[in-house]
Amino acid sequence: MAKISFWLQRIAQLLIVLLLVTFGVSLLLRLLPVDLATILLPVASEEERVALRAELGFDKGPIGYYLQWLGNFVQGDFGKIYFSGGTEEVSDHLKEAMPRSLLLMIYTQILALAVAIPLGVVSAYRAGRRADKIISNSLFALQSVPGFAIALVLIIFLGVKFGWLPTLGYAPISDGIWEHSKHMIMPVISLSLGLIATYTRLLRADMIAALREDYVTMAASKGLSDRRILWRHVLRPSSMTLMTSAALSMGGLIGGAIVIESIFATYGVGFEIFAAISGRQYIALQSSVAVIALFYVFFNLVVDIASGFVDPRTRDRRVNA
Amino acid sequence: MRKFTKPTWLAIGWLGLMMFFSLFGWLLPLKSWSFVYEDDLEVGLFSSGHLLGTDSNGYDLLSSVVAGTRMSIFIAIAAVSLGGFIGSVLGILAAYLRGKVDTVMVTFFNVGLSVPNLVLALALVSVLATNLDINQAVPTWRRIIVLVMSLTVVLIPILGRIARGATLSWTSREFVTAARSMGMKDSKIILRHIVPNVLPALIAVAFLAVGVVIIAEASLSILGVGIPDGASWGGMIARGRNDLEYAPHVLYVPIAFLALTVISTNHLGDVVRSKLDSREAKV
Amino acid sequence: MSSLLSVKNMSINFDTPRGSLEAVRGVDIEIPAGTSVGVVGESGSGKTVMCRAAMGLLQGSNVKRSGTVVFDGHELTAMSKEEVRNLFGSGMAMIFQDPMTALNPVRRIGSQISEGLRVRLGMSKADALARSKELLELVRIPNAAAVLKSFPYQLSGGMRQRVMIAIAIASNPKLLFADEPTTALDVTVQAQILQLLRELREDLKMSMVLVTHDLGVVAGNTDYVAVMYAGEIVEYAPTTKLFGDMRMPYTEALLDSIPKIDHKSGTRLAVIAGRLPDPTDRGAGCSFAPRCKYAQEKCHKEHPELKKDPDGHLYRCWFPIGVAK
Repeated sequence: MAKISFWLQRIAQLLIVLLLVTFGVSLLLRLLPVDLATILLPVASEEERVALRAELGFDKGPIGYYLQWLGNFVQGDFGKIYFSGGTEEVSDHLKEAMPRSLLLMIYTQILALAVAIPLGVVSAYRAGRRADKIISNSLFALQSVPGFAIALVLIIFLGVKFGWLPTLGYAPISDGIWEHSKHMIMPVISLSLGLIATYTRLLRADMIAALREDYVTMAASKGLSDRRILWRHVLRPSSMTLMTSAALSMGGLIGGAIVIESIFATYGVGFEIFAAISGRQYIALQSSVAVIALFYVFFNLVVDIASGFVDPRTRDRRVNA
Repeated sequence: MRKFTKPTWLAIGWLGLMMFFSLFGWLLPLKSWSFVYEDDLEVGLFSSGHLLGTDSNGYDLLSSVVAGTRMSIFIAIAAVSLGGFIGSVLGILAAYLRGKVDTVMVTFFNVGLSVPNLVLALALVSVLATNLDINQAVPTWRRIIVLVMSLTVVLIPILGRIARGATLSWTSREFVTAARSMGMKDSKIILRHIVPNVLPALIAVAFLAVGVVIIAEASLSILGVGIPDGASWGGMIARGRNDLEYAPHVLYVPIAFLALTVISTNHLGDVVRSKLDSREAKV
Repeated sequence: MSSLLSVKNMSINFDTPRGSLEAVRGVDIEIPAGTSVGVVGESGSGKTVMCRAAMGLLQGSNVKRSGTVVFDGHELTAMSKEEVRNLFGSGMAMIFQDPMTALNPVRRIGSQISEGLRVRLGMSKADALARSKELLELVRIPNAAAVLKSFPYQLSGGMRQRVMIAIAIASNPKLLFADEPTTALDVTVQAQILQLLRELREDLKMSMVLVTHDLGVVAGNTDYVAVMYAGEIVEYAPTTKLFGDMRMPYTEALLDSIPKIDHKSGTRLAVIAGRLPDPTDRGAGCSFAPRCKYAQEKCHKEHPELKKDPDGHLYRCWFPIGVAK
């Protein structure tokens, strides 16, 4: 019983934060010194603008506006994008953009973990020796180089000089796995290198600490091989920080993805946000930011639950705390 | 002199060079970065007259990168100082006063932290840099101010949370209780006892924050929102994308400066932090 | 009686930022087959390091080892890591001081016991679990089936220690190293565990090395006792002889410092003044001299060698107690 109330409390906290974030964004919009209706409909008549203002709720106070927006949002009405030729639904744009961004981030996390875990294990096992020093130093340098720099360098070499990979665009999986992969390789590598560095360092530190514990010596005294001990005994308790970090890094990933998506023109959610800003589509901006915040918060909740499985001590500790 | 390792000296040296460019770069015998060398478009590295070459607009890359250093470093130091100061004050107060003040502050921090950094910065910059007449371009000086303000706002929850955490671990210690029992005023306790102990941790994070801001400014400029027309490294990279195919050195120069600077600040932040940890361990 | 384990001239040094730390210094020890040998000493005397090194469990890039260890005819110090590992389980096994940290916190008890059986003896999962249940019953754990499914943090200290014993005896080892098996436990539980170890030794015909800082533990549980101080063996004798006719001032001081029930209340506890010598800088002379109440000038200047009495009693002292000069 205590467990359920703990989770309910947690979800309530997250909801409050979400509400505050979305309210903050809408407040920001209302603070704009310009008339939104004029921006969205630059060449329309005054009556049309008045109608738009009423429709969007600009005639109400900030709270009234927010509540109206919130009501629409939870029903799936994310607002519209306004062109000179007409309007488009933001939800349509996001529906197309979300899978692309999600795939990019999923691939990035998978690649980062797949590379970082063995690297972390090896450098912890050989701590202090040459292999460890080489890995640690290279990763440190790599961590300081931003994703877009790597992306640009990759484009110059793999895209232009050698012509192996396409430098722009996105191909959905339905176009064929190979085609899809070709377009994703460079964006994924650019985003994942920084993550690999972070994850490896974290895992290495945790494992070095765990390797000093008595249960490692005990496992050795049972006659188990080093390899078995490393992978099956030490890795799991050491991976707590890694999991937390994986969750926290989603935020940075989203940010990084924005730049990468615009460099590679893959039209994901990040790009939508950027397009909304440069196109002054502030309604679309409000909804997109809300969607991202929602996703980020939800993802953190999932990781919280998952970490309860990985380390059963945290499960009970939290309930009893 | 305390023993620093070779990499640490390299980092200090590079940052020293960057500071030199920032403060005294205008003394160098270089023309303004936006001066167009019409006859020398897309000249390669180490050519005569242009040590780092030129780009397709005719800008000399050496002048550009020196001016860019001044701009990027200025923005980074300004944002980190402001954000660090405000964030620390809020964080220290929250941890010291506890209770409702703390809860409100923590919620405020969490709100800021639950939006990815770049998204928040992007939103702030785009809103604050809007002109009343949307058809007019925004002047660079205004963009710089908006940029610094936005990055400051992004940094406040990050540094505030760290300041709060560090303060929490110190307020429960006995010398604070002792000082209170002697009748010392709260403000004095904070200034004389808490701040000097929290400062080292904040300085270590500040180094890391400088790197974050430099990268953020560059990202925003590449997206066209920061100062894409400006002198900063981000601006150079943004403009350099046009020359990607035929004159990639135009990109290598700012990227190299940016990467080396961030590596240096990260390394020094690491060094400060490990010196701090070993000091704590001896206590 | 042949020796099951023979350690000759073992020295262990650690490289630390403060210099080379000498943990074990020229130790010779023989464990006859079918016996239980106690190793007694303060924390830092080197007893744990010596046992782990003897078994081959000492790891780290900063460890320097010298000397030979022969177990059951195999020269461990000349063998590769894998070959030594093959002797674990059915040859040698170890139980550790703190059962909370020695058991893997995120794995269930059943899986931890059966792992050794599956990997080393090739048992199937079902067989291994069945055997694990038997082992838990052998170490007198009630409700074995439920315990198999539990995690270490759900059990009491005494039960965890029994689980550790179960893991160690799973493959019927010839020699069991017990490193401070009762230190982390309550006094009443201590007695139960020692009793359990005694019975298991008899039933399984197992030899044992019992490491402890508590002389009370070795009395009645061991056949021989070795006393260690500052990395060296300073006295070695059959247990009854050690208690009845000790040679080392250090051993006498240890015995004196045990609070006795018939002391009048208010009696000051006898403590051994001073501290262990700095392991990075041993200095000349007997290591115990600075704290010894019988110390004379020779003790501070010359390092005593191990002397052997005709009856096999070993001691390292210039002026041993109970021996006419």
